[in-house]
Amino acid sequence: MKSKRFIITVIVCLALILTLLPVFGACGGENETVKTLKIGITTPTTGPAAEKGRPMGDANLDAIKYINEELGGVNGYQIEVVWIDSAYDAAQAVTNVNRFMDENCLLFGTSSSKEMTDVKQIANQAAFPGLVCFNAPSLHRPPQHIYGLTPDYGDDWTAFTTYYMENIWEGAGKPKMALMLLNNSTGYGARDAARAAADDLGIEILWDGEIGKAFEHTATTTSETETLTRIRAMDPDVIYISSTPAPTSVIIKNAFELGIYPGVTIGCGHASFTKALVDLAGADIVEGVYGVFPTVSWGDNVPGMAKLMEYAQREHPNDVGNMDYITAWAQSLVIAEVLRLALDNAGYDAIAAGDAVAWKVIEEQGIQKLDGYDVGGLQSPVTYNEGDNRLGNSLRIFQVQDGVITAITDWIEAPLVKYEEFSWFGQ
Amino acid sequence: MSLPCGIRNYNYAQDMAIVRTRTQWGLLLALIAVVFTAPLYFGNYWLGVFNLIGITLIAAVGLNILVGYCGQLSIGHAGFIAVGAYTSAVLTNRFEMPFLVGFLAAGLVSGLIGIVFGLPSVRVKGFYLAITTVAAQFIIIWVINHWGLTGGFTGISVPYASIGGFVFRSKTSQFFLIAGVAVLTIFLAKNLARTRVGRAFIAIRDNDLAAQVMGVNLLYYKLLAFFIGCFFAGIAGSLLAHCYYLNLNGEMFSFTDSILYIGMIIIGGLGTSLGPIMGVVLIRLLQQVLLPIYLVPFLESSFKNLPSGFATGVTPMLFGLVIVLFLILEPRGLAHRWALFKSAYRLWPFSY
Repeated sequence: MKSKRFIITVIVCLALILTLLPVFGACGGENETVKTLKIGITTPTTGPAAEKGRPMGDANLDAIKYINEELGGVNGYQIEVVWIDSAYDAAQAVTNVNRFMDENCLLFGTSSSKEMTDVKQIANQAAFPGLVCFNAPSLHRPPQHIYGLTPDYGDDWTAFTTYYMENIWEGAGKPKMALMLLNNSTGYGARDAARAAADDLGIEILWDGEIGKAFEHTATTTSETETLTRIRAMDPDVIYISSTPAPTSVIIKNAFELGIYPGVTIGCGHASFTKALVDLAGADIVEGVYGVFPTVSWGDNVPGMAKLMEYAQREHPNDVGNMDYITAWAQSLVIAEVLRLALDNAGYDAIAAGDAVAWKVIEEQGIQKLDGYDVGGLQSPVTYNEGDNRLGNSLRIFQVQDGVITAITDWIEAPLVKYEEFSWFGQ
Repeated sequence: MSLPCGIRNYNYAQDMAIVRTRTQWGLLLALIAVVFTAPLYFGNYWLGVFNLIGITLIAAVGLNILVGYCGQLSIGHAGFIAVGAYTSAVLTNRFEMPFLVGFLAAGLVSGLIGIVFGLPSVRVKGFYLAITTVAAQFIIIWVINHWGLTGGFTGISVPYASIGGFVFRSKTSQFFLIAGVAVLTIFLAKNLARTRVGRAFIAIRDNDLAAQVMGVNLLYYKLLAFFIGCFFAGIAGSLLAHCYYLNLNGEMFSFTDSILYIGMIIIGGLGTSLGPIMGVVLIRLLQQVLLPIYLVPFLESSFKNLPSGFATGVTPMLFGLVIVLFLILEPRGLAHRWALFKSAYRLWPFSY
């Protein structure tokens, strides 16, 4: 009986101690801290988009390592990264961004548009600036506190369709295009662009029944034979896919098996057009497939490529040749440039707290001061234009040639589309 | 209810009391003190995690009534949570109704949709019923993704929860709102299990034919279980929309989540009031905090030569391993293990 009372007393005392912890905490002295620039990065390193998230996470951290170790940080301050896997899961992504804000990060970055879609409202409500690698119109239209480092998925569609009409289509009348889209922001960026600009570009969209409804698939699809069979019956000239590598590889393999491809032209948005697609589908099957991408190719002769390749070879040899690695490396370089601009324009003390005031400084004195930063030539120069949260707005057309993703055009600038002015946008 | 040695019930009120002994009162007060002072010593990140735990708990308690007490297997719970979330979001966003209206409507609409998908339970059970609830999951998400009112794939933004001009904007205020609803939900579920309705649920779970012979109306009670379980899912969805995501899209309510909810109540202990609490806390902490925040950095800093992505890739495997180990070593759930511990503690130092 005595021991029982003792245990109960201990439990009650523990409860009291926990209750009084804040008081004890308030009595403590302040710790001396090292001055760093803390940022948050979340990537889908596990889960259904891991084939993209893993190399992107590797590249983000490799680039920060390069900046800290070889460039001495940003203006002498080391960048401290809080990196967490999102597993492509909405609840985890929100938890991660809450953590970034709680840890006084100055800004945060995500790889995928899906992750940013999940957290954009949390970030916008708190005015916490976020930089997304793979961008969708719904993330930045109307512009708030989320910025895209590259053109969005709508821009991909516009660039590819323009190229198709000018260089590939040789028939009479309007060519017919079927849209095979991932059922999230990755796919719907292309759908929105098609609704906005198909008539102007002179192409007919084959909708899945009603206007505005594309042929959809999930990130975990294992067969699109049924959808492709329906599309074949509509006699398309071109199939446009905006998705991630795994489902895109399934679609192209199914199209190959059904005899649809080769025959029709296939174009891909930039979320899928990477080495992983060639590996997953097989080089012989994807030969000739077109795609759009916002960075240079692996090994191109640009100033930033040598260091990127050195780090990839040394730190993550499996990522060599993966264009997602380039995109995320460029993201980290842009983040460093934003921090440099904020330090130059406002000073360390203005952002030291990592609170809402610092976030405003980062946004106004960092992100919005970007003006022609060349990102080592890895992507088109990065500039902020008022009312346009796409920091990079140029991309190139690529084609799989002899199993290698090869650039076939120079940079194409994507015009700004104010989607919010269309009544159907967001409906 | 098992009571410590020497404690007896002398009247009906004592027999019905949930908290009986001074020890139980002391522990309850200590728990309340810790829970309601948590915002004082936890930052926004941890409060966000607790908020997610609280919301998940409300939904899991509902699922426990349906599966644990009434024995109606449902693998579409995330779909019913989505119904609640979107009902509340549409009412507050599109029709500018107050949060409280959206909150209650979320429960009611989700409950009614639950009844619709629960109708097959009158004719089928077990795995066959599970398949119909899987269909519910996919049909609900398909409708959400293709209905203009819900914003389709683009999603819909949701205002913060607010009551009478007070906006639950901070994590602290959201914590109190969610904790309050969670406590109320647990209290209701605990009492429900001890009522005529709860006993009918248990009778149906144990042997529905025998229950019917004894006069239990199977149609009424099975659909009632679906309504109550989905009502709780609906209000959890409303809180998820207004206090956690603030922006909804169909992908936030995946089939994987539905399976995870089943996992939570099995690991916690089916058909117990404590089970969902233990299961939810364990799974959510593992999933949201312990593995990604602590284990991955530890592995990466301790084993520098691990291949790229190995540490992160280990976490889903460990997560699965923990669930499998629980199912093998303690199939009756954490609540049963806790009951064994309490029995041992009461009898200590005697082993019988």
